[in-house]
Amino acid sequence: MTKANAMLPVETRADKRVDLTTLASMVKDGDTLALGGGLTCRLPMAAVRALVRAGVRNLRVVGSAHGLDVDLLCGAGAVRASAESYVGFEVDFGMAPNYRRACEDGSVAVEDSCCYTMVQQLRATTMGLPFMPVRSIRGTDIGRLNPSYKTMTCPFTGEELTLVPALAPDVAILHAQYGDRHGNVRIEGPPVADLLFARASRTVLVTVERIVENDELMAKGGPNVPYFYVTAIAEVPLGAHPTACYPDYAYDRAHIARYYDAAKAGPEAFHERYLAPFVFHAADPQTYLERAGGDATLARIASWSESPEAWQRLYQDQDHGALEVTATAAGEPAGARA
Amino acid sequence: MTAECTMGEAMIYALARTIEDGALVFHGYGSPLVQIAMHVAKRSHAPNMVLVEGATYGVNPTPLFITPVTNDRALDRGAEATLEIGELFDLAANGRMGRMFLSGIQIDRYGNANVTLLGDESKVGVKLPGGGGGCNLSCDVRNVTLWTTGHRAPPDAKGRRRYRLVNRCDFVTSLGNRAPDGRTRAAIGHRGGGPDRLVTDLCVFDVDENGELRVRELYPDTTLDDVMENTEFAPHVAADVRTMPLPCPEIVAFIRALDPLGIHRKELREPDLTRSYAVPETAAAR
Repeated sequence: MTKANAMLPVETRADKRVDLTTLASMVKDGDTLALGGGLTCRLPMAAVRALVRAGVRNLRVVGSAHGLDVDLLCGAGAVRASAESYVGFEVDFGMAPNYRRACEDGSVAVEDSCCYTMVQQLRATTMGLPFMPVRSIRGTDIGRLNPSYKTMTCPFTGEELTLVPALAPDVAILHAQYGDRHGNVRIEGPPVADLLFARASRTVLVTVERIVENDELMAKGGPNVPYFYVTAIAEVPLGAHPTACYPDYAYDRAHIARYYDAAKAGPEAFHERYLAPFVFHAADPQTYLERAGGDATLARIASWSESPEAWQRLYQDQDHGALEVTATAAGEPAGARA
Repeated sequence: MTAECTMGEAMIYALARTIEDGALVFHGYGSPLVQIAMHVAKRSHAPNMVLVEGATYGVNPTPLFITPVTNDRALDRGAEATLEIGELFDLAANGRMGRMFLSGIQIDRYGNANVTLLGDESKVGVKLPGGGGGCNLSCDVRNVTLWTTGHRAPPDAKGRRRYRLVNRCDFVTSLGNRAPDGRTRAAIGHRGGGPDRLVTDLCVFDVDENGELRVRELYPDTTLDDVMENTEFAPHVAADVRTMPLPCPEIVAFIRALDPLGIHRKELREPDLTRSYAVPETAAAR
């Protein structure tokens, strides 16, 4: 009955492979967008950069625990509202500079959600229901940012419950390790909210490290997102960089430090030192990789599996220091992050 | 013979002591002190706790080392099972989750906490990162441990203090023992029990029968005056305030082995990094 559920498609095309530019073109101005992964794990960063190059505007982003992805979109002026439950860089770098600026100057509407609420809203869509109840929220101020919530008295127990409306994102973009041409996807490691997003979104766009044959996918343990949810799939190696996509690569802390310094220094600095070199003028993956440090970076972020010591080195400040020297040579004031 | 522990290690131990054996316990992200405290509890007094690791939702992992980011493969190594996001929050709603840890840039006398924004939504002064699932969990989970490393609120050049422990939160992200208007959790209709401890860089609070924070323990190098001076409201004080117990050398060694990069120190303020205490040598913890 509800509009949300009536529009959920079944995607049956035999071959859904597209290139990254085509995939990004399927996101429209004004869409409600769910990004897969979480924190520094499997964020669909190549697709996010492609969205920025495509000039998509007025997005409403929904999700749970995010950081670099939403911050970059905010810094590029692509977002009109954020219903994420968290956007930040944890204890590593702290607050998200572009996101914070955009929320504080009013260009991004603050519609913060919370994780279980979002889960229940997505579940409502997957169950074909207009809403789901939650016990929590009453007594907090989260409802002030979400006027769509209602309350009801339970007809069975007489308890007061909060009702949250069904959420069907216009588009979900996920990045995974493996997929096949039909659109079956295998996510390794924590799926975060990706499976819920796949089931509840009208359009599901996926980038993967490698497209393989279905029997190889089955040999790896089989898909956790079946093909009929998926609209299009693109093979994009390093598609989560600079976030992690184990087992292929770990978190590129040095790159994120560089991003953070540029974002913190202000909108102009962010444009000059990050958006221009790494997004607008790096559409070609080879150019992006070279600017991100080329083979040396590839070897470094793959070194996590060599030894515990090698893995630990990826989180140490020396990486940041090395990049800061480079950045300072290029004219950045020293100690910008402090 | 004496050994030493740092203030951070003492704080980790105080957080660990809030964990009951056998409880299902979860920490969120951006909280290495809590993360380490859970592993300390699991390997000392609470071997039967069900430890659910931050953003990976790994169950009973043995992390290789603590990373500065929470959804990292180094952290769920050795997990005997993993949960999915809906299931994790269901565990709080259905009463299985025994304890969760929450923090805030503002915390009031009832333990309401703000990690959403300063100012108000019509004029956002500072947009904070947001609460993740904290809002939901604060209502549903059986017990909450609060913590903050920013209790100390030194005056600025004009003599004004920016308190962490405030009369009123600009925004309530997670619910304390009463709403700011005084309504109890029971009156609101929540089943979770609310915060029963707040561990800070100056002291440990428990909670009185009215749901208000009450000073219970001090660090070896803090006084009641320090607590009063750095708290915007006048907190209740237990009749028998004591110095907090310190971790034995075995636990200190465990913490240092688990966190070789010193990631938990990123949560602490600069002046607190040099605080340390002598601890007596003891036999093995278990």
